[in-house]
Amino acid sequence: MVILSATPHMAAWGKWLGDALGTNAAGASAGNAIFGIFLSLLVYLIGQWLFKIGKGFFLFQPLFVGMVLGIFILFLLAKVFGTTTANFYKSAYKPGGDIIFWFLNPATIAFAIPLYRRNDIVKRFWLEIILSLIIGLVASLFFIYGAAKFLGLDHTGIASMLPQAATTAIAMPIATAIGGDAAVTAMACILNAVIIYALGDWLVKAFRINHDPIGAGLGLGTAGHTVGSAKALQLGSIQGSMASIAVVIVSIVVDIVVPPFAAIMGLK
Amino acid sequence: MAQSHSAPQTDQPATEQPSPIIVQMAIFAAILFVASLISPLFPPSFPVPTPVIGLIILYVLLATHIIKLRNVEKFGDFMISLIAFLFVPSGIQLAASLDILRTQGLQIVAVVLIATIVMLVVVAYTTAGLIWIRKHVFHRSVDIDSQSH
Repeated sequence: MVILSATPHMAAWGKWLGDALGTNAAGASAGNAIFGIFLSLLVYLIGQWLFKIGKGFFLFQPLFVGMVLGIFILFLLAKVFGTTTANFYKSAYKPGGDIIFWFLNPATIAFAIPLYRRNDIVKRFWLEIILSLIIGLVASLFFIYGAAKFLGLDHTGIASMLPQAATTAIAMPIATAIGGDAAVTAMACILNAVIIYALGDWLVKAFRINHDPIGAGLGLGTAGHTVGSAKALQLGSIQGSMASIAVVIVSIVVDIVVPPFAAIMGLK
Repeated sequence: MAQSHSAPQTDQPATEQPSPIIVQMAIFAAILFVASLISPLFPPSFPVPTPVIGLIILYVLLATHIIKLRNVEKFGDFMISLIAFLFVPSGIQLAASLDILRTQGLQIVAVVLIATIVMLVVVAYTTAGLIWIRKHVFHRSVDIDSQSH
């Protein structure tokens, strides 16, 4: 906004802040990660606080609040610095955000622990687990294809929707391979997690899914990826274990099933 | 807190103690490193990312008792408890894709919402169906002990 450059004094203040956030040319090369890390923690803690005083209202889930509030703050700051939200995100937030994002690597492999804790279930039901995930995923693909077609997405849009059951690192290259837009697919994977995190408890109740803990776990892991697995762990150890195995198997099933499905449906 | 924590540990035999956090972190780092070497061996048409391979490696090491739960569970459970926070940057990353949302945004968000619910419900009901078949067609036990270990 104009205020920052209204007086020489204010201009200097703006340059100082810009340097600190890494939005000025000099600061950008330094790649200051502190702002991104601080903002992430701040918005998440605000989300936790809202969730507490809102008595668990589902839209106040910390991840959802953190995401919306974080984007809103970046949008406002971008206006203040007279740049686009995307540019401001890249120069000011991404260096810190990437550091937090990296820790999803050890967090993902950590799900081997709840998986192993209920290895008894894995050993007894391995055939049902694998068949459920293959059949369930293929059936879901028809629904997703139908919904995307019905809502009028173009070929690129439909192709971008199909691989979203896999983790982002698998879904994105598959989307590109079948003629989709990898950025849209990444967005879908992120939204899956946010939706399951916000609506998971309600959906599990509404569709009476928790009668069968194995199915509840596999469903949450398929629909919500690792965040769905964390949700499943809150329901119980079997649900958590099943969600963890779903994350692995579904990703590999997407690898195998989605490209031929897209070809049969005449995409690409 | 620190006193009550350290007191019972001294009574336990050394082998039952959880590994120090720095050792647990090193195990995770080593598994990630090996997984990152394996991941590029897969062809581009069949991507298998590093964390998925890492999860499989850690599971196999636990199942074969090469690694014990006490070697990894303190750090692992901590990382899992952080997962929603670790996802915040991914959510905020959508700030860079606001342009996509501007053009087809509403339809895409609607399809993703439907897809998420469909995947949850269809997979869960498929499992319930297969477990019903296991019980009524193959007459195999489906009793599960839902107590956590």
